[in-house]
Amino acid sequence: MASLPKRIIKETERLVSDPVPGITAQPHEDNLRYFQVTIEGPQQSPYESGVFELELFLPDDYPMEAPKVRFLTKIYHPNIDRLGRICLDVLKTNWSPALQIRTVLLSIQALLASPNPNDPLANDVAEDWIKNEEAAIEKAREWTRLYAKPK
Amino acid sequence: MSAYEEEHNISNEDNSRRELRAQIHELYQENGQSNTLLQLLSQLIPESMQEEWLQGKEEGCPEYFIDSLPRVAKNKLKTGDSCSICCCDYMDDQYPLVVELPHCNHRFDLECVAVWLSKSKTCPLCRDDVLSHKPSVDVSKAEIEEDWGMYG
Repeated sequence: MASLPKRIIKETERLVSDPVPGITAQPHEDNLRYFQVTIEGPQQSPYESGVFELELFLPDDYPMEAPKVRFLTKIYHPNIDRLGRICLDVLKTNWSPALQIRTVLLSIQALLASPNPNDPLANDVAEDWIKNEEAAIEKAREWTRLYAKPK
Repeated sequence: MSAYEEEHNISNEDNSRRELRAQIHELYQENGQSNTLLQLLSQLIPESMQEEWLQGKEEGCPEYFIDSLPRVAKNKLKTGDSCSICCCDYMDDQYPLVVELPHCNHRFDLECVAVWLSKSKTCPLCRDDVLSHKPSVDVSKAEIEEDWGMYG
């Protein structure tokens, strides 16, 4: 395997020395391209009481290719499916090599604050969300209590 | 070989794979709808890559465009300015090769932005479509050079 690009080293250093509020990202000891991530549920969202675990992997082509990110904690959200895969433009077609690990994680935190049921990945959840938003939000709150780590 | 290529182990093998991919894409474009064998074969391509391989979605800028990007002179670069793709200061390199995109004027190391523009048409910083602007031909400079030839 090729050596770790300077950019990844710099990003990792900055994630540790100047962390984003409410977000942690720790590289794995054996694989510096694999990060264990936690994101605090944003205030005034149904996820606010919980801390969510994610995994992030930087592919060989990074930063020409987006990082692969997945929720490990079960979460009830119209843009996150039951395998934890995330429907977010910057992770797919709108990726740019000027984006970074920290900006991607901030976008995911923002997605928690504003679910978008009109661009769903989890179709059943999105349907619930559109049919009865109040009930869906209550379910998201309940899943946060059940599966996420308390803040 | 550029630093990006070195760091990412880009070799001739990748190039021949790219060629193979282009051939598959061409075959599919020509016969994909009518040829059952080809359709079955295309199912063997991982789902996440099918669109890219078969529809040729991976469209970047032509090479001549990338080669023609204007260079930024070293004395126009300030210490601390860095390339947002590799995150390295331009001045870390004794001979920085920095280019400017048309219209938005965002700057990058040539070797970094060349890799990106070979698969995309957008500026990494502002998503401007870099091919949508007509190139302005600097006639005055061409004339000066011609004059030099005559009197030199």
